[in-house]
Amino acid sequence: DAVAVGQDVQVVDPEVRAHVYSLVTALGGFNGEDVSKYSIGDDALACLRDIKKWLRLYDEKTNRLDVARCLGEANLVNGDLLPILSLWFGNGGHTKKHMTRIALACLELLVPLTWPVEIHSQMTVNHHRHTPYLQQVQVQYKRGLLDQHAGMNVLRSIIGIGLPSLSLPKSERTNRDEGILKLVLYLFRNVAMISAPKGLVTDTDEEEISRSATINAFQQQQVFALLLTMCSNINDEFSFQDVVLLEILFHLVKGVNVQKLFMNDTERNAKRNDELGDLLQKESGVSREYAKTAPTRHGRFGTMIWVKRDDAKVSTVSGQDILKDGQTAFNKMDQSKKWNRPKHGRRQQEAEAASGDFSSTTHLTPAAYINLRTFVEEFLDTGFNPLLTHVRKAIEREANRVVDINTRQWLYLVAWFLQAERERRRYQQKQHEKTKGTSKEIEPDSFSLVAGVLNQETFVFLNRAMQYSYDNKEWQDLNANMRCFTQILLTVQEMAASPLEEDQEIAENIQNRIFYEETTHDRILSIVRGYNDQGFAYLDACTELAHVFLRMLENYSKENVDMQVRSKRRSKRAKKTNSEGQDEENVEENDSEAEELADAARAVRERKFDFKRFSARFCSQKSVDTYVLFTAYYRELDDEQLKRAHRFFYRVAFKQELSTLLFRVDILNLFYRMIKGPGSLDSTKPIYKDWQELVKQLTRKMIKKLDERPALFTEMLFSKVNSTLFFLEYGYEKQTLFTG
Amino acid sequence: NASDATAVLGLDADLKVSKQRAPIAKLDETRLLSQNGIPKLRKNAKSKLKFKGKGHEFSDLGRLLNFYQLWLDDLYPRAKFADGLAMIEKLGHSRRMQIMRREWIDEGRPSFQIS
Repeated sequence: DAVAVGQDVQVVDPEVRAHVYSLVTALGGFNGEDVSKYSIGDDALACLRDIKKWLRLYDEKTNRLDVARCLGEANLVNGDLLPILSLWFGNGGHTKKHMTRIALACLELLVPLTWPVEIHSQMTVNHHRHTPYLQQVQVQYKRGLLDQHAGMNVLRSIIGIGLPSLSLPKSERTNRDEGILKLVLYLFRNVAMISAPKGLVTDTDEEEISRSATINAFQQQQVFALLLTMCSNINDEFSFQDVVLLEILFHLVKGVNVQKLFMNDTERNAKRNDELGDLLQKESGVSREYAKTAPTRHGRFGTMIWVKRDDAKVSTVSGQDILKDGQTAFNKMDQSKKWNRPKHGRRQQEAEAASGDFSSTTHLTPAAYINLRTFVEEFLDTGFNPLLTHVRKAIEREANRVVDINTRQWLYLVAWFLQAERERRRYQQKQHEKTKGTSKEIEPDSFSLVAGVLNQETFVFLNRAMQYSYDNKEWQDLNANMRCFTQILLTVQEMAASPLEEDQEIAENIQNRIFYEETTHDRILSIVRGYNDQGFAYLDACTELAHVFLRMLENYSKENVDMQVRSKRRSKRAKKTNSEGQDEENVEENDSEAEELADAARAVRERKFDFKRFSARFCSQKSVDTYVLFTAYYRELDDEQLKRAHRFFYRVAFKQELSTLLFRVDILNLFYRMIKGPGSLDSTKPIYKDWQELVKQLTRKMIKKLDERPALFTEMLFSKVNSTLFFLEYGYEKQTLFTG
Repeated sequence: NASDATAVLGLDADLKVSKQRAPIAKLDETRLLSQNGIPKLRKNAKSKLKFKGKGHEFSDLGRLLNFYQLWLDDLYPRAKFADGLAMIEKLGHSRRMQIMRREWIDEGRPSFQIS
């Protein structure tokens, strides 16, 4: 039970504390003749084993975190374990059997102590009490592990512990060897994963435990080299370590901006300057906008106006800025209202565990960018295909070592590395053009480096995972899945434009496969239409996927007039020809060839109409709502995102002739604010012109329609119903033609 | 026995009058369909709104939005413009509103025949 906090409240049973402290004390320390040197206690190995027993038998058995907390308070890791490890590594400890055992025992303690403590649903009072403290203390551990000022090279020494087991071929490794390898990798995973807890103030400098520091330490102490070796030999040597490797990679690259990775320093500086310039411009825009309406007199000047309204009513508005124009007065009238509409529904997003959260961006230092990029390029060249294929198979087999979160991590990594590969190609292209005069022509690269995720098995896996997460409302998983699918589509698009004949053929083939399944089309539609409060990252992912998918499908169906889709629904005509005694499933199995031919022929005939139909289904009220919610973030969106929204609305209004869907007062209000403010888009950007033009054309259309059909004045307040939509758009009823 | 009776029946005890809070006005279908609601909007829209047309798209749009804002402020002064719009949009999904909307549209049809 929770007790009131006072002087003598014990968070941990005093006896346990005493036991643990005495063990830590007996381990060794800095004393004796040379104070700067750590001297190991006589029974250090037994002490370490006892501490491990305490952790296992007390903490794990009783589901508490008491011992871990005591060890944190006793400063075991930074005060004892790390000095012991550096002692072992510095003095050629490999040759001393006893010391090696001690080092291994230290590693065995480090792994559980750095294991991420997360907020989860089965927490006891005890967990709640200790978790914040442990998260803080783990940050200290990480600082100690990465610390290079002391010249300890802890990560190197940990690799040293694993080396003997690593050098054995897989057939000769014992269970113990596999265990050691696992410990080493899990420690690296923990190091990569620990980050300063959100909302808790840590007393360490953020710099020392940042992602950049981790990447630099990994590069300097050859952890990257180890990872590369293991990834590229995953199939024959390290098949049990694949999932851990995946996790390490995930925690290293999550949230890193790929585009910045593939720039040289000058470009990156230029980009940063651009960003800074953009921000400054934004800021000056804000202040300019304020200056437009800023008071020119002191605050108590006391201006007040009346807004005359019908029925001889007036509203009073005060402040000098309202004298500028009517619009400001109207805005002010609105802003001065105090009541806000209560938001129904749970607005609390449950805290996403850090193990799978990838939505926050991470910035790196220039040195870290260079280090990470070196690693990423080498990984793409050697480790990408083997590792990701291997993990995918493990997930499909539902191997014991796989947990749920791994699917999401796999999807995210595939997306990230595909984007990295595309950026790299672009970068090489640029470099090549620079040196065009001097160097000889290089052969264009094929996409074989990432072929491991562009095969039929992956698409099947992707589709299945997508359907599963959609059905089970696993939004974060679906988010990763959509990003992955988007990147695959973009990669295929680049393949199709490649100068190599072979690449073009493969791309053609892949597109054929992806677009052949009508279920995929339907799923993407229903994801976009079913958006409901899943957060901005999800909104971004699903609109991007829809945008890319639709654009590619359109081009593909234009190029291949005889494109066919496999529809799960049976056509009416085919049903008619069936004898009615058979049940559906049998019919599915025993489709006669003639019927298949007839089906195919029908698909051929209907293809052109088919994309139109698909597009029409895409441009529905629900999708419009989704995109409106997306556009509402216009102040934070970048050009690409604004373009995406613009293209969608353009498609709805002018390609599908459904502008009535957009004639809703709240949508128009949003559009008007985007162009005219307050808080409008930056009018110097080219995308602003596009939006301006769109809103202009829409308004023109709307005024014409209002003139023709006054009923629209009331309908402007509501979402349109399908039954009246057609009439409002065209002014006459839909003609239904009966054929046959 | 009289004293027992008062104890049981509580005749002499002080009556506590708890003050009822004044009910908060709701923006619901009734309000929306009342004289100040949509009927007024339909009446005024034609007469009060004059568009300038080509070349003045944005001022026209601004005028349209202001018109709706004033109407909504009259109808339900409590809510901000965007909030009020969202509430009305939500009301539009109900059965009763759907029927009414249908009627308003049908009135505007050139030759409405029951087929």
